Amino acid sequence: MTTAGLPARRHRLDPHLAVSYALAAVCLVLLGTTTSRGFDPDRILGLLGNQAALGIVALGQTLVLLVRGLDLSVGSVISLSTVVTAAVMDGNPDRIAVAVAATVALGAVVGLANGLLVAYAGIAPLLVTLAVGTIVQGATYVYTNGQPRGGIAGGFRGLADDRIAGTPLPWSLLLWLGVWGIVALTLYRTVAGRRYYAVGANPRAAWLSGVPTTRHSVVAYIASGVLASVAGLHLAAYTGSPSLTVGTSYTLMSIAAAVIGGVALTGGGGGPTGTFAGVLVLVFLGTVLETMDVPAAVQLIVQGGVVIVMMLVNRRLDPARRSRA
Amino acid sequence: MTVMRLPLGASTRSSLRAGWGLWALAVLTTAGAAIALPAFRTPTSMTSLMASLAPLLLVATGQAVVVLLGGIDLSVGAVLGLATVLVATTESVPVAVALALLAGLAAGAANGLGVLAGVNPLIMTFAAGGIVQGIALLRLSAPGGAVPGAVIDAVTWQAGTVPVAFMAAVGVLALVWFATTQARWGRLLQAAGFASDNARRLGLPVGRVTLLAYSAAGLLAAFAGLAVIARTYSGDALSGTPFVLDSVTAVLVAGIALTGGRGSVLAVLPAAVLLGVVDQVIRLTGTNTNYQFVLKGLILIAAMWLYQAARRRERP
Repeated sequence: MTTAGLPARRHRLDPHLAVSYALAAVCLVLLGTTTSRGFDPDRILGLLGNQAALGIVALGQTLVLLVRGLDLSVGSVISLSTVVTAAVMDGNPDRIAVAVAATVALGAVVGLANGLLVAYAGIAPLLVTLAVGTIVQGATYVYTNGQPRGGIAGGFRGLADDRIAGTPLPWSLLLWLGVWGIVALTLYRTVAGRRYYAVGANPRAAWLSGVPTTRHSVVAYIASGVLASVAGLHLAAYTGSPSLTVGTSYTLMSIAAAVIGGVALTGGGGGPTGTFAGVLVLVFLGTVLETMDVPAAVQLIVQGGVVIVMMLVNRRLDPARRSRA
Repeated sequence: MTVMRLPLGASTRSSLRAGWGLWALAVLTTAGAAIALPAFRTPTSMTSLMASLAPLLLVATGQAVVVLLGGIDLSVGAVLGLATVLVATTESVPVAVALALLAGLAAGAANGLGVLAGVNPLIMTFAAGGIVQGIALLRLSAPGGAVPGAVIDAVTWQAGTVPVAFMAAVGVLALVWFATTQARWGRLLQAAGFASDNARRLGLPVGRVTLLAYSAAGLLAAFAGLAVIARTYSGDALSGTPFVLDSVTAVLVAGIALTGGRGSVLAVLPAAVLLGVVDQVIRLTGTNTNYQFVLKGLILIAAMWLYQAARRRERP
């Protein structure tokens, strides 16, 4: 049970973090040496900015995994978000605020539904989020009738395209780092964060010590829904059009990022710091494969392979987890 | 507690008794649809219903075996897709079919090995599904290909109004039900699913049973690929995607516990019929087919809720 929470106070280097950051560094070197302008910071910052959606949705997935959950509905929520954003905004720059609010509220509602069904009805998270994800997907199709309407205002696209004036930092990267900062600060530095780790590591012990465990689970799912909708907002700005299927691949990718970052499926182990490295690995590796001109299908194969290998590595790193698994 | 009375809960009588409500519901729904909808009771509609049930029954039977073991297989959809792709891109008929079935077996065995190595079944099969789908997309990036005529003739053959694929699927389900309740392997499966650690300490070959269960699920998913070809006449790497949720829904509506060791494979039949009839009614009444997604999700949640409540009541 050495993984039980309190990562901030441990001065010993966490082997999971060491492995995931080492892997990220290897992928960065691979990226730098196999592509032209490989180590150009301007290009790398641009790459990371383009993948802010993955970074954000992976943070939500991490929060859910930490309380022994799983969110398979994030892909559907992302697609729904791009559709709703475009429909509400309808290309009108004055309606950006309304569109953002509506999208995030919808993400929160889906997350709340997941959370309530998991925490109060006692249904396995896998099934709840699979079912809710399918319902959301169906609702998106019914709402659009297969043909998304509306448009993204030009000004909103700046979120994905523009860099902060005078710096090479894209706005989208700032959004990702901002969300990461809020999540990390809450988890590592507040009482709520401590309790959160306690709930994941041992729900019964946490409950007996007076932590409202069900409420913590529900909040995790709401956060995941909200973050998925924020990722959808970024994707809508990035692609400039709504899409019914844009989110699909993000379900597997967000879980992959968390697992590569050493987040334990048994709850209470790992955190946003590890997941950040997991996203870096996926982004760098994906770019290398893309520039080598391999088909998108190979990306799927590589992702699946990396996840399985990292699960085996994580198990080997942690005897406590091995006995619990 | 039921757990005490029926440690394995797998005798023929108990599995029939447990599912009677579900059988009644399936029969009532089918009868209701037949009375309310003239289009539903035509022979064409019945044939189409049975043809659409065949792949679902095959995939769900494999899923049921894995769930009885306390695992889950999210790669069945990708394996099904790969099977259709392999058949549609191979010229020689025996080679095509052998290749498809071997691929399913291999994917299932890989899942089993990963789970035995300690990878969480959910993540293992999810990631393996990604890999298998990638392979299928590499071989055939868009739906199409050329399915050999002999294969189409074989899988679409009908005895009167009953498609041979449906008969084969029901036969396989009956066989697997027999194997899980009467054969030694089935007893081991239920024991390993009910209490894996205890089974291992008793010296039961849990590893071998696990490997076999996942391999069976992979093989049945590949068989289901052949049944899908009977309806689409083409290969499509993504054709299996809906079967992931559908198979899990059928297994859970059948009352097989996700925690393993409890439930009957036989109950998968009425559960699949129920889902198939609902789909058919949506199609026939001209309702927007996208409501299928919404309805399936709701059925899954409702079924889980009911069983959860029933299990809570059983506890003293």
